[in-house]
Amino acid sequence: MDRELILDVRDVAYRYPGASTDALAGVSLAVRAGTVHAVLGPNGGGKTTLVRVALGVVAPRAGTTTILGRAAAAWSRRELARVVGVVPQQEENLFPQRVRETVLLGRYAHLSLWGAERPADHAAVTRALARADVLDLADRWVWALSGGEYQRVRLARALAQEPRLLVLDEPTASLDLRHEMELFELIRTLAAQDGLAVVLITHHVNLAARYADRVLLLAGGRSAGDGPPADVLTRETIERVFAWPVAIAPFDGRPQMIPLRKHP
Amino acid sequence: MRRWAHRTHLAGLLALAAGAVCGRGGRAPSGPLAVTDDAGRTLTLSAPARRIVSLSPAVTELVFALGAGDRLVGRTTWCDYPPAARAVPSVGDGLNPNIEAVAARRPDLVVLYRSPLNETAARQLERLGIAAAVVRQDRLEDVARAARLVGRLVGQEARAEALADTLTRLVTQPAPRAHTRVAFVVWDTPPMVIGAGSYLDQLATLAGVENVFHDIGPASAVVALETLATRDPDVIAVLRDSAASGPPAFARRAEWQVIRAVRERRFVYLTGSLFGRPGPRAPQAAAELRRLTEAPAR
Amino acid sequence: MKWLGLGLVAVGAFLSAVLLGPAHVPLAGALSSDIVRTLRLPRAILAFLVGGSLALSGAGLQALVRNPLADPFLLGLSGGAGLGAVVALALHVASPWALPLAAFAGALGAMALVYRLGLVGGAALDPRILILAGVAVGAFAAAVTTAIVSLSDAAELRNAFLWLWGGLSGASWDSVRLVALYAVLPIAVLLAAARPLDLLALGEEPARHLGADVEPLKRRVFLAASLLTAAVVAVSGVIGFVGLVVPHAMRALWGHRHRTLLPAAFLGGGALLALSDTVARVAVAPRELPVGIVTALVGVPAFAFLLRRWTAN
Repeated sequence: MDRELILDVRDVAYRYPGASTDALAGVSLAVRAGTVHAVLGPNGGGKTTLVRVALGVVAPRAGTTTILGRAAAAWSRRELARVVGVVPQQEENLFPQRVRETVLLGRYAHLSLWGAERPADHAAVTRALARADVLDLADRWVWALSGGEYQRVRLARALAQEPRLLVLDEPTASLDLRHEMELFELIRTLAAQDGLAVVLITHHVNLAARYADRVLLLAGGRSAGDGPPADVLTRETIERVFAWPVAIAPFDGRPQMIPLRKHP
Repeated sequence: MRRWAHRTHLAGLLALAAGAVCGRGGRAPSGPLAVTDDAGRTLTLSAPARRIVSLSPAVTELVFALGAGDRLVGRTTWCDYPPAARAVPSVGDGLNPNIEAVAARRPDLVVLYRSPLNETAARQLERLGIAAAVVRQDRLEDVARAARLVGRLVGQEARAEALADTLTRLVTQPAPRAHTRVAFVVWDTPPMVIGAGSYLDQLATLAGVENVFHDIGPASAVVALETLATRDPDVIAVLRDSAASGPPAFARRAEWQVIRAVRERRFVYLTGSLFGRPGPRAPQAAAELRRLTEAPAR
Repeated sequence: MKWLGLGLVAVGAFLSAVLLGPAHVPLAGALSSDIVRTLRLPRAILAFLVGGSLALSGAGLQALVRNPLADPFLLGLSGGAGLGAVVALALHVASPWALPLAAFAGALGAMALVYRLGLVGGAALDPRILILAGVAVGAFAAAVTTAIVSLSDAAELRNAFLWLWGGLSGASWDSVRLVALYAVLPIAVLLAAARPLDLLALGEEPARHLGADVEPLKRRVFLAASLLTAAVVAVSGVIGFVGLVVPHAMRALWGHRHRTLLPAAFLGGGALLALSDTVARVAVAPRELPVGIVTALVGVPAFAFLLRRWTAN
């Protein structure tokens, strides 16, 4: 039985205003519930642009994007925030807040204009904190958290939205090994146990290969492969896309990339 | 009211005494025509001035009053009295004057109103070889001294002495009892009134008019409307040029109706040329103020 | 508890504005006194409206441009208002409403110019460019104003600057009614933007993904804050400090959630201005101090105290 198709991006093309070339051309991405879909590729390859197009933030020049069967453009920001939780690459929190307060911001899309937060909202926050494994940090100040803790708090905020689809843009960029692994484990659990669809943009080819069900490799705005890791991450493809010689070795049934040295 | 009469009396006596002791205002040290002006500067002329530029409306009036009007070759745009002054070419502003325009009139004497910018202008004129005198004219007591200074510079000391005497007598004679209470309102947003430091306040005393804000020291100050209302002047005096007519704009505003004089439209209009200028027409100004406040316009 | 305290302060400020003044009005006859009913009551209400509006605009703008130093006059409005007032004076426009209307028109002109400059490639308002544009427009307006003043009759135009320094002397029931009616919509728009402004503090992209319509939000907040400030300047000149400091003071006590911060800022700003105006009227009676000086003298020590408490945490 096929799992529900949450996000369906087909053959999109996009060009930034004033640019001479397409940032994306002929890219497709289909994400189903309960699966982790990693988006990989060198810098400037179009990964973040793809997310913008996928979520209707910008309109593509060609192609379509549907979320839960509805065109992305047809969703209002508020409605979309009830089904898609995004953890963007950067965030600057101007004002000092406690963890619980900042996670509560995730309930915005569920609240009415003038109404106060209801018990159901607070319960959703608690659940999100628990799932992201930061419940014990709930009353701490955000600025006192470590990098890894802060990332999980941001993930909790996205989970507080009670989304069907989770999008994470380079969530482990500044994390050390342990926190990086913990985050990937958490993401895997969320997909498997809660049926979330996850789009994960990451630099980390090897961890993506281990944790993702499918991988989309983007280079120069074009798809260099979309499918299970073993199919996409071949030596020829990786060497072409990343312009560096590598060796591929299997681990745990998944291909792992080992960059080769040029100078002995 | 008698308090104020004594005060002005005293002020007049002090002015005379100061004039005698300090040797200012026309009391020349020595030389052909040497004079110390109000900025403490000494100027020397070989003969009475023949081509005078006046950079102050009050000085223009003085020059004409001393019979030297025909020797005036330059005036400011604001010098409008006597009517003959209008025939004299204008050299622009009196404050921060245009030195070139002044020099173009080829004067041998320039008289300026005392202010920091004008003292710089005076120095610039001297560098061009033109004698420049700076005169203070803010209060009644300044006029007698200015008359003597200008009189000496134009060689009309006798007339200057007579004029100075008249003005001094004006100041020293006992002031009439005040018969009307007046507030002098010079601006409405925010409300500004004239205080004891102003020439207008001195005129008021001479005219037998009580300035309800005489207790305010400086020449002018901002007050709250409720203060104006509580002091309840009989009449409100407003400075205005002859072009406008009817009650002032603020008379129509709702919040000003708290003041009885505004409600009853008891206004008096004072022309800036006569009442804003401490000059030889001070006696006329006082008389006119008395006349106006005894029968205010509606 | 805190709200009770703020409420008491506000009521106290209002009462002192109505009962205290250079004119002695006995307590018993206060309500029937002409001075109280025609002058002090509308002036106290206007102080609350003006102070509250300034603080509310300040808080909104600080969130919009994401800069704690933002203040309602950052965006060139005071320069525009000054220019409008000076032009009206130079042209000797006679009507009693000339100055406020001209100042309002000038402020609106400045707002439109800053808005236009702040739009980058279409419909997106860039807060950083807004700040720069505001400073530039304000400086330009100030320069033109100075030029006009230096070329014209000194006395009248010096008085224009007195007006600009700020004061509630022109308060009347007419002006209170006008401001109250006009201010309802911008105030409502700002209060309604409370939650989205919380999101905006995280950054535009995170806010968008959390469900906020970021572009319309920025436009709404900018326009509402500017319109509110323009009206305030027209009625009472440029009263500094309230819009900058009151939001910070309220944050120190209430935190950053705009749902509580915005109403608290409104009340706090109103109370501060009412109190300052009372001091301005009474301190050197019969003379009156410019109220902007008092708000600074009262506000700075209070702010310094709160700042120490805040950084100590």
